[in-house]
Amino acid sequence: MNDPGKNEQVEKQAKTLFDDSVERLDAATLSRLNQGRHRALEELRESRHSAPWLRWAPAAGVAAAAVVTVIVMRGPDVVEIAPVTASDFEMLLEEDGFEMFEDLEFYVLLDEVASEANGDVG
Amino acid sequence: MSACTGVFAVSCTREHSTGAKTLQRERQLNQFLAEVERRALRIAEIAVRDRDEALDLVQEAMIKLARNYADRPGEEWTPLFYRILQNGVRDWHRRQKVRNRVMVWFGRGKKDEDEYDVVANAPDPAGRSPDDQLQTQEAMQRLEESIHELPARQREAFMLRTFEGLDVAGTAVAMGCSAGSVKTHYSRAVHALREKLGEHWQ
Repeated sequence: MNDPGKNEQVEKQAKTLFDDSVERLDAATLSRLNQGRHRALEELRESRHSAPWLRWAPAAGVAAAAVVTVIVMRGPDVVEIAPVTASDFEMLLEEDGFEMFEDLEFYVLLDEVASEANGDVG
Repeated sequence: MSACTGVFAVSCTREHSTGAKTLQRERQLNQFLAEVERRALRIAEIAVRDRDEALDLVQEAMIKLARNYADRPGEEWTPLFYRILQNGVRDWHRRQKVRNRVMVWFGRGKKDEDEYDVVANAPDPAGRSPDDQLQTQEAMQRLEESIHELPARQREAFMLRTFEGLDVAGTAVAMGCSAGSVKTHYSRAVHALREKLGEHWQ
């Protein structure tokens, strides 16, 4: 199984083929990579010019929305709010959590499909 | 008056120095991304088997690196960049699985193999005889297919170590696992590729 010579041969040949394919990327692809890189650098400039507290604005918005939701759902008579733990905030502030909202329509579709499968449509 | 002028001068010098540092950092990041982007694209393309999707994933990784890690030391950028990219690839595969399930449910499911023509997506030829080009492309096609058949973690370890040239520690950061796991995945990947490609490559 562990023949270093043969392993090296596989690694070397794979690397040669890979480098060759990298070298032969077409102009249109290279142009798109270039555009992507410039967008990333623009992002860097913008993030430097924006106030640091603005980075937390989306997270603060979601947290505020969650609090309002809890208040509305529990009604005006109940002023007690469920305790918020550090892990809740961590989850809210996690960047990946926000990406889920980009696919909200997709998850709604999934939900509809699941409901239809269970015969809930009606 | 003169004290005021002095404070203003110090403030201007400090701002100028910060601006110069920022500009230098931007140049370094640009250089890093320009150096890594083509290999990253091919690595992502082999993983997802679609150039457009791979371009999107690489661009997203570049933006996230610039947004979140531009101030980190330059030597940390490579593993961080590949960590972001690998996470993107994993998310992409998860979404594809769900999407495929939905499409199958609607009777419009496709097999992965139907969607990607490696030869049609092969890079443009550059100054070689047609026979040489064909041979190289076929060998790369076999290699891509074999890599694609590996379990995801083995595929990541092999591409990061062999194609990007990351060391074990860097690969561990990029994959979000221990150095020991990297060694195991990598060794299994090389062994599996030897088995798959052996007859063509001896």
